[in-house]
Amino acid sequence: MHLPTMAITAPSPGAAQQLRDAGLRLARAAWRRWFLARHAEFWLGDLGTSWSLAAPRARVVDVIDETADTRTLVLAPGSRWPGHRAGQYVPVEIEVAGVRVRRCYSISSGGAEPGARRIAITVRRVAGGRASAALHQLRRGAIVGLGAPAGDFVLGPPAAAKLVLVGGGSGITPIMALVRELAARPEAAGARDVVVIHGSRGAADAIFGDALASLAARLPWLRVHARRDDDPATGGRLDPAGLRALVPDLADREIFVCGPPGLIDLVSAAAREVGALHRVHHERFVAAEVQGAGSAPGALAITLVRTGIEVVATGTAPLLVQLERAGQRPAYGCRMGICHTCRCRKLRGTVEDSATGLVSSEPDQDIRLCVSIARSELALEL
Amino acid sequence: MIQPASKSLSSAEAAAFGRELDAVRARVCADLGQRDVDHIRAVIRLARYCAVAGRALLHTGLDPATFGLGVGALAAAKILENMEVAHNVMHGQYDWTGDPALDSKSYEWDMVPHEAYWRQSHNVDHHTYTNILGRDRDIGYGFLRMSRLQPWQPQHLLQPAVTAVLALAFQWGIAFHDLHLDEVFSGRQSLPALRRRAAPVLRKAGWQLAKDYLVFPALALWNAPRVALGNLLANGIRNLWTFAIIFCGHFPEGVEMFHEAELRDESRGDWYLRQLNGSANIAGSRAFDVLCGHLSYQIEHHMFPDLPAARYPEIAPQVREICARYGQRYHTGRLGTQLASVLKQVVRNSLPTAA
Repeated sequence: MHLPTMAITAPSPGAAQQLRDAGLRLARAAWRRWFLARHAEFWLGDLGTSWSLAAPRARVVDVIDETADTRTLVLAPGSRWPGHRAGQYVPVEIEVAGVRVRRCYSISSGGAEPGARRIAITVRRVAGGRASAALHQLRRGAIVGLGAPAGDFVLGPPAAAKLVLVGGGSGITPIMALVRELAARPEAAGARDVVVIHGSRGAADAIFGDALASLAARLPWLRVHARRDDDPATGGRLDPAGLRALVPDLADREIFVCGPPGLIDLVSAAAREVGALHRVHHERFVAAEVQGAGSAPGALAITLVRTGIEVVATGTAPLLVQLERAGQRPAYGCRMGICHTCRCRKLRGTVEDSATGLVSSEPDQDIRLCVSIARSELALEL
Repeated sequence: MIQPASKSLSSAEAAAFGRELDAVRARVCADLGQRDVDHIRAVIRLARYCAVAGRALLHTGLDPATFGLGVGALAAAKILENMEVAHNVMHGQYDWTGDPALDSKSYEWDMVPHEAYWRQSHNVDHHTYTNILGRDRDIGYGFLRMSRLQPWQPQHLLQPAVTAVLALAFQWGIAFHDLHLDEVFSGRQSLPALRRRAAPVLRKAGWQLAKDYLVFPALALWNAPRVALGNLLANGIRNLWTFAIIFCGHFPEGVEMFHEAELRDESRGDWYLRQLNGSANIAGSRAFDVLCGHLSYQIEHHMFPDLPAARYPEIAPQVREICARYGQRYHTGRLGTQLASVLKQVVRNSLPTAA
């Protein structure tokens, strides 16, 4: 019988190297698997630290009342804070009645380097808003989760010398971050010319009203126009004529606007008139759209964001059936809502659970396709 | 034939029965909140502290007393983690929290079976097709004859001994169950397909073996043999416990098995009835409930597999009352009674009987 010959030789240097690499890979995998994934997060959390190896966390180090319904939370991020640019927002995660809730808030402090010690978010309490109410409950020492800062509502490098910054309501928060950033940059301050238009319902609702006024008193390049809807002496609510009067040289300026959609439209229209639309930077604050559970479903568009495919749902068949009718093949198991195989992240829109009648209308919630009925247009992570 | 102890219901009655149970489910869903996560986190914490205590005793002690305590603490940690935490989390009972540590699709348990395979064979096959011969692969795990409805074969004569081995090595039984070896013998699975299916199972098993029998003993230096033996015993105790609890859930006398024809036109109410008549509870204390991951409420678990299990004790009286009103048997008994009944079934069904 012929046996295959086994070459037994001393391992070549290449083989020794490979063996060492394989050993290291195994050790690293074991470390990740046994220590980092299973134990590190648990013990770090159990010891109440703000550092985490998986996701950045932050400790609330100060709570400042800005107005009757608005609070600034000063946060000390863990050492993994990646840094951010002034004007960006950050996803903040907290637990409300056992459920993780994630919302994006503009950072109201200026830009920060990686590993920064302090950032601040400013939160207006929204009527019926779970996240904002819970954030208002937080005291010093509380821990919140942070996502990666993002957004392109930022000063270009180099920042334009002539700027107009328009903030309405809580839309003033990223504007405040831009002003603070500029105030912290002494270079080229001589040529700088910044106009801030600060809209609010009334003096009592004006977030950062005093802070902006005192900065304007100190910084020669900064002018602040406070417009109060309830006070005609300030010019009242901003309108196109008022904007032209305040900023006659709009065409020469880089334009930043953040606030309700009406304000962004107004500023964009004025910029278009003077041929400066390409200079408009805007940030929209959109409240989660909650729709009535009983609304009759017509033809609803379901966007599958991973594949970019759009499917139209009609009638009251569950999403799994709707997707299969359209030729999609999402994973499923029991088809009756018990096994969670078809669980899928819903990014936007409202669905109703056909078994319990519970409605999910918040963004970024997991749903089960086999028992969920579309109640609005949807975006799914499929 | 096993006589159904429960009254057979008209389709209208079954539908009404189903609606009442759906209402129980909806009430719990609407009430989920802080206390559910507080409970599961407390159990996770208890399991972690038990594991640390057990390992510390095994690693540093020299005498039999610390060995015994160490094995006990480590076995308790593994039982709590496998039963109350892993099994329930992997059912998706806590998916609503959005906490990555409680996520059904990424949770990894301290046990050999591969998570993704288990979720398919358990959450889908076993929970959807509970006790359907030919569909629920958990009935005797394909090699034990647990009901007269299963045809007798000569190898069943050995099943009392086979059952004892399965009980001692239960985690390996579950892991190999997912390889569908019976399909290789019957020609429905090719060897290359088996190899592909086995790769993740063997990888997971390798990690578990390396952890319990290489890495931890190596960390104990001179105590290596003691630690390896302690880990073996802790795993064995956990195996016996999980075997006992799980077999008491579906195999005591009087629990029904069903033919595939049952699935034809099965309504939601019929499905609830099948879950009820195919499951049995174990009466015990609160501590006992937690140690068996609330599988002592197997009936409630099978009706509502993705509701947090710690809710079963509070809905059980409602379920029981509904069952009584519809003339349905609610199968329950103490652990000793149920286990004796299961073992009697194992022995009785090892002998040939007319189907």
